[in-house]
Amino acid sequence: MGKYEGDPAWDDVVPIPQDDGEGALAQIAYADEYAEAMGYLRAIVAAKEHSSRVLDLTVEIISMNPAHYTVWLYRASTIFALDHPIQQEIEWVNEVALDNEKNYQIWHHRQLLIDHLYPSISSDPVALQKLANSEIAFLTLMFNSDSKNYHVWSYRQYLVRKLNLFNASEIKSIEALLKVDVRNNSAWSHRFFIVFSNPEYATPGSAATAYDPGIPDALLDCEIEFSKAAIFEAPQNQSPWNYLRGVLRKGGRPLATQECFASEFAKIESEEEVKSSHALDFLADLWNEEGETEKADKALKLLGDKYDPIRKNYWEWRRKALKAA
Amino acid sequence: MTHAKLNRELHIKYWQRCLNSLLPTGYTTTDSTRMSLGYFILSALDILSAPPLPSAQRTQIRNWILCCQHPSGGFCGSPNHKFPDAYYGDGKEEMDPANLPATLFALMSLGFVGRMEEVKRVKCLRWLKSLQRDDGSFGELVRQGRIEGGRDMRYCFVAVSVRWLLRGYIKIDSVEDIDIEALVAHIRAGQTFDGGVSESSQHEAHAGYTYCAIACLSLLGRLPHSSGAQTDSEISPGLTNISGTIRWLVSRQLQYHNEDDNSDDEGPGFEQSQNTGICANTEPPLESLLINENMFVGFNGRVNKRADTCYAFWVVASLSMIGEVELVDPEPMRRFLTELTQHQIGGFGKCPGNPPDIYHSYLGLAALATLGEADLKQFDATLCISVEQRQRLEILGEEALTSRNYTCFSREE
Repeated sequence: MGKYEGDPAWDDVVPIPQDDGEGALAQIAYADEYAEAMGYLRAIVAAKEHSSRVLDLTVEIISMNPAHYTVWLYRASTIFALDHPIQQEIEWVNEVALDNEKNYQIWHHRQLLIDHLYPSISSDPVALQKLANSEIAFLTLMFNSDSKNYHVWSYRQYLVRKLNLFNASEIKSIEALLKVDVRNNSAWSHRFFIVFSNPEYATPGSAATAYDPGIPDALLDCEIEFSKAAIFEAPQNQSPWNYLRGVLRKGGRPLATQECFASEFAKIESEEEVKSSHALDFLADLWNEEGETEKADKALKLLGDKYDPIRKNYWEWRRKALKAA
Repeated sequence: MTHAKLNRELHIKYWQRCLNSLLPTGYTTTDSTRMSLGYFILSALDILSAPPLPSAQRTQIRNWILCCQHPSGGFCGSPNHKFPDAYYGDGKEEMDPANLPATLFALMSLGFVGRMEEVKRVKCLRWLKSLQRDDGSFGELVRQGRIEGGRDMRYCFVAVSVRWLLRGYIKIDSVEDIDIEALVAHIRAGQTFDGGVSESSQHEAHAGYTYCAIACLSLLGRLPHSSGAQTDSEISPGLTNISGTIRWLVSRQLQYHNEDDNSDDEGPGFEQSQNTGICANTEPPLESLLINENMFVGFNGRVNKRADTCYAFWVVASLSMIGEVELVDPEPMRRFLTELTQHQIGGFGKCPGNPPDIYHSYLGLAALATLGEADLKQFDATLCISVEQRQRLEILGEEALTSRNYTCFSREE
């Protein structure tokens, strides 16, 4: 006898079994417990029942299949219908998230919870700060096991927008992650978002790839210095080179403003000394912008022949484009 | 030098096992996306030119897919999301609504086992429109009037593919279309400072999302050419920084060292100085790298991440759609896939040494097919199916429209 079948608390429910028919595609050897619980869930959903036993049932199904999107949605509507304490739910979700790092539905669910909670505390700065602190603390815990978890970063961005966390403490927490791993590209990307989408000065709707006249000069200088320091630390790290290019584009500054800096990592004149293929790439673009195509061509040739031969086809293609221009 | 080889017979056996035997209990977490697994299985057998399925099996599969069709249009991800027919009505359609990715995979799968006549075309297209938000993005389902699901590029791509399947060949359709301009604007907004595409907003560029965005633009005819030439200056190009996108895509390649590693801790690893260094302060100096004929090149999905079979497809297919697939040297990638992630029981694993799974096994084949692997059918990178199957889908759609036997797949309701 199954768990629910033998439980008097579920006597009134007639489960709706799953009908796979003959010759189904991608049939899974479901565990009996899963098949039974799903049958009861279907019955509950058909009856539109929202009760505390629904919360128990969904906990069990989620433990077996955390990717079941409608179970999560049904759980969320039950929580809202019962006025179940959001804080309590968040604590449970924390446990599930730590056990299922790759799961996406958990983070969607968490977002629904915060959206539901927010209006009740939006005029209370103390409560908002408390929420921000506890959320960031949990995300830090998630990042301890995987600091590049895409879903967690998505949620972090949602939180920043929702609670307006474009602030120094957010920047500080990114710097802490980069201190541990300067190649954490997720952290670099989040920094770009925090700095260049801050509603205080960023032009609304300005694309990440576009010049934004709203960005203060001092801020640009600061971000340029930040990426340079990271490049000094690890010249062959792609992330800060990409970041530097991104900052220059946002600020409408030509690559040539960084010629001295980039040349520190790639000398190709009389004496050849290359510490970073990304520096060579940067210089090739820079010299091309400045009309020094011969130098640009030399840099690209070196990349293809010597310093980055796995992308030889690409570097040769860039050389051809130089000549065609 | 010996060329790495795709073991076609072994892959056919792997996929036939996936088709004909129960998937292990561990696949329970994919229960809601069984339709996608079904599509991978049927399409893999097609790419490999496996012997055709017996007609009775085709009928059973078709019936199973149609059982997952939602009465209000669209498809559910598996029978676990589908109630017996008698339960619908009285506004109960929303209790477990149709799902957008499931709908694409169901339609694609139907194409392998017969006809499209039973598809509720008009209902499906109306439902599709109801999934689009004001910002141009798509959710994965609508429940109680609310569009649920992320705003990322996957749903955009899936929505446009469903649209292509159900109305791509119809010039004037009475069913109201989705908002294409809003969608393109949404895709433009997802492009990142480093040239890739992320989930909408300014998240981190990701090869999977980049593929979805480019495939979406490709189906909509909104891809700029890499030369920068735009056919119609009135139309804003879908990609805002094409040279940056190409740089970002080719940068996903990284060299893999398959050293004889006798220690059982870490196993073979990637060139630290290239992409995946862990200790920032002990970076070795960049020395000129020598190309050798036994080199392995894998692809990562994000900057400074590890290589993984599936990203070979997402990246190579993206370059292929832009018209620049020659920028990748095919042989080192083939070696990575066929010597390192191809498994001895058939299929591909995610990383070297991993057991095969349906998802990576399919995308491993797709990556090789995109680069013109001899033993595989010619491949359509945009829809991620064989060229032959793409043509077949167009024919099936047109046939369904003119069929007198069924009224579901009609121009009008």
